[in-house]
Amino acid sequence: MIRHLFTLIWNRKRANFLLVAEIFFAFVVLFVLGSLLVDNYRKYTAPLGYTYEHVWRVDMDPNGQPISRQDATFQRLIQHLKSMPGVRSVASTRSNTPFSFSDSSTDFKADSKSTNSDIYSAGDDMQDVLSLELAEGRWFNRHDEVAAHPPLVISQEARQALFADEPAVGKIVRAMDDKEFQVVGVLASSYRGRGEFQELEPAIFQRSENLVDPKDTTNFDRPRLLIRVQPTATAELEQRITKEIAAVTGGWKTTVTTLPEERTTRMKFALAPMGGMVLVCGFLIFNVALGLFGVLWYNISQRRAEIGLRRAIGATSSRISAQFLGEVMVVTTFGLAFGLLVAAQFPLLGVMGIRLPVYLASMGLATVLIYVLTAICALYPSQLAASVRPAVALREE
Amino acid sequence: MENVLAQTTSRPQATTETTRSAASQPVIQLRDIEKVYQTKTIETVALNRVNLTINKGEFVSIMGPSGCGKSTLLSIIGLLDEPTSGTIELDGRPVKSYSDKELASLRNHKIGFVFQSYHLINDLSVLDNVELPLLYRPGVGGKERRERAYSALEKVGLGARTNHFPSQLSGGQRQRVAIARALAGRPEIILADEPTGNLDSVMGEEIMDLLLGLNRQEGTTIVMVTHDEQQALKTQRLIRFFDGSQVQ
Repeated sequence: MIRHLFTLIWNRKRANFLLVAEIFFAFVVLFVLGSLLVDNYRKYTAPLGYTYEHVWRVDMDPNGQPISRQDATFQRLIQHLKSMPGVRSVASTRSNTPFSFSDSSTDFKADSKSTNSDIYSAGDDMQDVLSLELAEGRWFNRHDEVAAHPPLVISQEARQALFADEPAVGKIVRAMDDKEFQVVGVLASSYRGRGEFQELEPAIFQRSENLVDPKDTTNFDRPRLLIRVQPTATAELEQRITKEIAAVTGGWKTTVTTLPEERTTRMKFALAPMGGMVLVCGFLIFNVALGLFGVLWYNISQRRAEIGLRRAIGATSSRISAQFLGEVMVVTTFGLAFGLLVAAQFPLLGVMGIRLPVYLASMGLATVLIYVLTAICALYPSQLAASVRPAVALREE
Repeated sequence: MENVLAQTTSRPQATTETTRSAASQPVIQLRDIEKVYQTKTIETVALNRVNLTINKGEFVSIMGPSGCGKSTLLSIIGLLDEPTSGTIELDGRPVKSYSDKELASLRNHKIGFVFQSYHLINDLSVLDNVELPLLYRPGVGGKERRERAYSALEKVGLGARTNHFPSQLSGGQRQRVAIARALAGRPEIILADEPTGNLDSVMGEEIMDLLLGLNRQEGTTIVMVTHDEQQALKTQRLIRFFDGSQVQ
């Protein structure tokens, strides 16, 4: 029967060409969109490397205070906030806080290896504020102020890029300006400051020192605070923090936002194009389904006499149904075979810079989806074919 | 509708068959067969209390004007359609007791069809067309299918045309392919619906000779619907139909 199906399809190759082409294009588009979606899903399910619940971000505007006094004010403010009831820990940082739309990166070298890494400024309490887990070494502390080399804590990706499988703690790393740093700790996982949809990239933390550079008059990258509050904290605490900051700093303007709010904003930006992709995908699938359904329905109505004949010579209605379904599956297989040939070029040529497992998963998903889609679209016309009364069908020709 | 119903009320009571050869063992028996096609607005009686027995090895022809129910009768005998009422027995067993699967198997093993318009699948070669009934027969492998199809084509004189497609053949050749397809399954009964209807007289004679040969040499039971009196007279028994009833 399989040979018969192939013979029939081969002999009808001109009639089946459009169907094969439709399936081919549908597969390629689904594969491309699927690759992007699967890649984003992979990123989404990967660990962030920190927790953001009950963490607030405080943005401050010195409101005209002379720059030479800002650093001291800032250090005093941190001490005051730490002592407030409801506040668990406070850490200084820069503008590239988690989920913010700000990022900063630089090149680092270690022996013969180098990498471009996101760089984050972090106070001594940042490990507690973001619940960062360490695999090796330690986090920053006040003893680092007198260290020979400024300390760094690096993520697993940075460790892999700079030291491969060798131990990293204690090693010297050079920045672009040849300034030397010493690795004091390695995070247990990745750190993805830009949120769930950021690629797993190297991340390096350096200890916050002079939060406000007196020579910097641009106010380009003002220091910020991340505060871990008690889980029971409410808006009342936010008001108290704002008042405390105003009191300690002598009138700095303050904006408090929570990291979950920041995450929601970031997610919206990331999900909007993905939603568009899903819509395009859905529209495409709907159109392909309509097209397939129409073509199959037409094919069956054109082949009623053949159906009648097959019934007359011994085919059961389920056999007729299976034959039409089988034909569609074989045609689908041809379309998918061409599609897979094209899809295989993506990882070989590195077209979208996506990892091989993602491409393979997308190929599998798109293949299954197309098979399911064609099977669904062929099911009703096939059942229709099976229900044709042979005597009526034979009379129709 | 009025006219049709009026006709059904004046059912002919006589059921006369012109028998030319002694009947032996009945293969097909129809008892009080009625077939009524019903739409929302009209009821058409296609067959009206038909009683008919076809014996093994008989060559029976059915004649009658267009629309008198000949093809409907053939469809019912061929298990392609169900009567509205009445019983059909095949080898003494009522077909009502058969499931769809059993009916399909009966059509495949016992019956071969030859149609006026050949009903060949244009996208399949002559050999593939002839193989078709064997495709639905469990236990027949590819090699045996090929051999039997080839042998059937040899019988109808088309052994050299196996790789041709129906569109490359004449009408007579196509009908011979259709007969080969019916023969490939080695059926006991061949039901032929106007097998020479689309052919010229020479081709028609050829096909008729082929069917007569099958009946005489292989003992195949043949029921043939025809408009051609000359051909009908060559068969062992002629049944005449008018308005859904046997009249002679």
